[in-house]
Amino acid sequence: MNPLIDDRLAELLFRSLRLGDLADLPAFADHDPETFRLYVDACRKVGRQVLWPTYPTTDAEPPTLQDGRVTLHPETLRGFEHVRELGVIAATRPEAVGGQQLPLAVATLAHAYLMAGNLSTAGLAWLTTGAAHLIEAFGEDALKATFLAPMMSGRWTGTMALTEPHAGSSLGDLTTSATDAGDGSYRIRGAKIFISGGDHDASENVVHLVLARIEGAPDGVKGISLFAVPQRRPAAFGPNAADGPLEPNDVHVAGLIHKIGWRALPSLALSFGDEDDCRGWLIGAPHRGLPQMFQMMNEARIGVGVTAAATASVAYHEALAYARDRTQGRALGAKGGDQVAIIEHPDVRRMLLRMKAIVDGSLALSVATARFSDLAANGPEAERDRAHAILDLLTPITKSFPAEFGYEANVLAVQIHGGYGYSSEYVPEALLRDQKLNSIHEGTTQIQALDLLGRKVVAGGGAALRALNETIEAAIADARKASVDEAIIAPLEAALGEVGKLTMELGMKGAGGDLDGMLGHGVDYLTLFSIVVIAWQHLCLATTARSEDSDFHRGLVQSARYWAATELPRVALLAERCRVDRSYLELDPSWL
Amino acid sequence: MKILVPVKRVADPDNANKVKVSGDGTKVTSDGLEWKMNPFDEWSLEAALRLTENGSSKDRVGEVVLVSIGPKDAVQTIRQGLAMGAERGILVESDDDSLDSHVVAQVIAAIAAEEKPDVIFFGKQSADGDSNVAGTKLAEMLDWPLVNYAMAISTDDEGKSFTVKRELDVGQQTLKVQSPCVFTSSDRILQPESVKNGVTPADFAYPESEGGRYASLKGIMKAKKKPVDEKSLADLGVEAKRVNEYVKFDLPPARSGSTTFVESVEELVQKLHSDAKVL
Ligand SMILES: Cc1cc2nc3c(=O)[nH]c(=O)nc-3n(C[C@H](O)[C@H](O)[C@H](O)COP(=O)(O)OP(=O)(O)OC[C@H]3O[C@@H](n4cnc5c(N)ncnc54)[C@H](O)[C@@H]3O)c2cc1C
Repeated sequence: MNPLIDDRLAELLFRSLRLGDLADLPAFADHDPETFRLYVDACRKVGRQVLWPTYPTTDAEPPTLQDGRVTLHPETLRGFEHVRELGVIAATRPEAVGGQQLPLAVATLAHAYLMAGNLSTAGLAWLTTGAAHLIEAFGEDALKATFLAPMMSGRWTGTMALTEPHAGSSLGDLTTSATDAGDGSYRIRGAKIFISGGDHDASENVVHLVLARIEGAPDGVKGISLFAVPQRRPAAFGPNAADGPLEPNDVHVAGLIHKIGWRALPSLALSFGDEDDCRGWLIGAPHRGLPQMFQMMNEARIGVGVTAAATASVAYHEALAYARDRTQGRALGAKGGDQVAIIEHPDVRRMLLRMKAIVDGSLALSVATARFSDLAANGPEAERDRAHAILDLLTPITKSFPAEFGYEANVLAVQIHGGYGYSSEYVPEALLRDQKLNSIHEGTTQIQALDLLGRKVVAGGGAALRALNETIEAAIADARKASVDEAIIAPLEAALGEVGKLTMELGMKGAGGDLDGMLGHGVDYLTLFSIVVIAWQHLCLATTARSEDSDFHRGLVQSARYWAATELPRVALLAERCRVDRSYLELDPSWL
Repeated sequence: MKILVPVKRVADPDNANKVKVSGDGTKVTSDGLEWKMNPFDEWSLEAALRLTENGSSKDRVGEVVLVSIGPKDAVQTIRQGLAMGAERGILVESDDDSLDSHVVAQVIAAIAAEEKPDVIFFGKQSADGDSNVAGTKLAEMLDWPLVNYAMAISTDDEGKSFTVKRELDVGQQTLKVQSPCVFTSSDRILQPESVKNGVTPADFAYPESEGGRYASLKGIMKAKKKPVDEKSLADLGVEAKRVNEYVKFDLPPARSGSTTFVESVEELVQKLHSDAKVL
C-alpha cells in the first residue's frame, strides 16, 4: 500500500520546524502539539483509507455535463463527504467563523496527505477555503453572515473565477462587467473559462468569487473589483440564508473542459448574465479586487506547492515499491545467476534518490513557507515584518519548484516502471498528468519568475533577501555546530553568495533601463534561487536528523549530499547564463 | 447507557517490520515504534459509540468511557478515542512489561466496580499479543455474561438488555443478554446496519467502513477539554503480578516470494499446489 507521504518525514518536519512551538503563540492557544498531531493523523487516515482507493476510478471516469448540470463521480461525492466532515475547509480559520484556528503550517502538512490521496476531491475543499477566506477578510458583515457559515461547513462550495478566454496571465485585461443595480448588488455580465468546481452535485450551492470591472472603472489592473456571485442566490440574506429558498442567478455552464489531469474535478466555461439577471455582491472596496486577491495569494500558492509535493511523493513511493519488487537483469559484470531487483542497478537508485531529494525538499519547503505565513500573521509582534518579507520572497519558489521539479520526479516514476509506466494500468502516468497543472494554474512559472525577480527581491531595497540570507546563514551555523558534513555545507554557502551577487547585478541592469537584460532570464533566476533554497531545506533536515542512527536519517544525508553535489554546481552555470546569454532575447520571432 | 471500552496502544501493524525482539528473546522491544489504537479495540469503540448516539443527528445519548493501561504516553490513544466521540478516559499507569491479560482483567474489573457500566466492550484480541483472553477472563472474574465476536447488537430499552448476533463457522447464533455484560466484536459489527439502539432512526445506515470513524478537527479540539483520570495499579488495589511468563519471542521468518503471472485458472491452481504448496 502506497503511504502517500513518508510518515517519518512528517514527524521530522514537526521537529525541525518546531511546529509544536506554534501552540505557544496566543493565536493558537487552544491547541497543543497533540491536537496538531491528531489532525495530521486524521488527514493521513482519510487520505490513505478513503481518498487513495478512489483515485484510479475517479481519474478514469470524469464528471459529466448534461442539461447544463455537472455530475461528479459517486466516489468523489463520498470522498468529499469525508473531507468535509474532517473540517478541512475551515481548519485554519478562526472560531468566530466556524473554524479551529489551526496554524497554516500544520494544515499544510496534514492536507498533503489528502492532496496525495486524491487531489481533485481535496481540491474542492481547498478552493472553498480560498473563496471563503476572501469573503471573511474583505466582505461586509451582511455578506459574511450569509456566505461564511455554509461555505466553511461545505454545504456550499466556492470557486475563484478570474480567467477569461483573452485574459489568463494578464488579468488586467479582463472584461467581465458589473453594473450597479442600485439595491446593493451589481449585475454581472461576462464569460469565464477554466473555472474549477464551477458546477457539481457535491454541494447545495456554488459561490463564485468573480473578478469584474465596474462600469466606468479605470483601465488595467487598477479597475478590477471582486464580487461574490452565487450560482443560486438566496431569497433573503443573513445567517439563515442557506436554509431558505434559493433562486437561479443566471449563471450558466457553457462547457466542460476535457483535461489531461485533475480529471475528477470539473473545470468549466461559465457565462454570467446571459439574461441580464446575474447578481453579484461587491467584496471589499471598488477597484481593489486584484490587491485583495494578492493578499490571499501566498496561501493559495503554498497550497499549489504542497499539492505538487504530494503528487510527486505518491509517484516516488510507487516507484520505490516497484523498484524493490521488479527483477530484471544482473549486477554489472555478473555472469548468470538470478535476476536482481532493479533497485540494485545504480542508475535506478540515481533516479530514486533524485526523486526523494525533490520530494523531501518540496514538502519541507511548503511547510516551512507556511510557517513563515503563521509567524507573519500571528507571530510575536517584533518578528512579523521579517517573517512577512521572507514569506513573500519564498512564495513564488514554493509555488514553482515543487511543480517544475516535481514534474521531473513524476517523469522518473514512469521511467522506473519501464513500459508498464507508459501504460494506464499503472498509476504513475496519471500522477504525471495531474502534476503538469501545477506549473500553470495560480500563475504560471513564468509569472512566478517575474514576481520573484521583478518584485520580491527588489522590494524594500532587498530587505527580504537580506532576511532570508540571515536565516540560511543561521542554519549553516547550526549545521556546523552539529558537525554536518562540510561537503553539504560549503557549496550552499558559495551558492548563496552567488545569488546575492547576481541579484545585485540584475537589479543594476533593471535600474539602468535594460528590463530585458534583467528579467529575460527570470526563469533561470527562479531555478537557481530554488536550488539554493532547497539545499537549505535539506541542510535543516540533515541537521535535525543527526541525533538519530537510522536508515531514514542516512537516506536524508544522502539526499543532501546528492543535492549539494549535483544541483548546487548548476547555480553558477545558470547565473552566468543570466549575465551573458542573449540567445533568445535577440531571437527574432520570424526566425522560428 | 454507559459503556466501558478498554483501548490498548499497539505497534502500528502497518509498520510491523520495525518490531524487534530483545537480545535474550524474552520480550518485544518498543524503541522507535509508532503506536496506534489496537484495531480490534477500534471496532468495539465504534460499536459503543453507535450504541450511545443518535446516528442521524449525531446527538450523544449515552456515555462511553475509555480505559487504557500503559505508560504515560498511552494517553494519546485515549485522546484519539475521545476525538472520535467518547466522553472521558481513565489512564492506568503501568509499564508494558508488567502486564498480561490477567493483570489487565483485574484492572478493568476494579474500574468496573467503581464505574458500574452497563457494558464492557473489549476488542476480541490485541493486534500484537493475539492472546484473545482478556475479555473472557474479565467476564469470568465479574461473573457477567459474555458474548464474543458480536456481529450485530440491538437494544430497545436503553441497554438493560441486548439481542446479539454472533458469527459462527456453521451459521449465526442469536442471544439475548441482560446487562451488565461483556462483549467483544467481529469486523461485521462495522456494517452499516449492525447496531440498533432504539434512538437512531430504524432506517438509518452508517457509511461502509473498515475501521472506526475518523476523528474530525472539531472532535480533536473537543477532546482536549474532556477529562482523563490518571490512576495507578495501587489505587485500584491491583498487584502487577503476571500469571504468564514469556519464554521466548521469535520474529516471523522473512517472507520469500515473488510475483508470477499465470495464463489460466488451471495454471494458477497447479502453481498453488506444486510451488506454493497451499492446496
Ligand atoms: C485545469 C485548470 C484549472 C484551472 N482553474 C482555474 C480556476 O479555478 N479559476 C481561474 O480563474 N482560472 C483557472 N485556470 C486558469 C489558469 O489560471 C490559467 O490557465 C493560467 O493563469 C494561464 O493563463 P492562460 O491559460 O490564458 O495562458 P496565457 O496567459 O495565455 O499563457 C500562455 C503562456 O505564455 C506565458 N506568458 C504569459 N504572459 C507572460 C509574460 N508576461 N511573461 C512571460 N511569459 C508569459 C505563460 O507563462 C504561458 O506559458 C485553470 C486552468 C486549468 C488548465
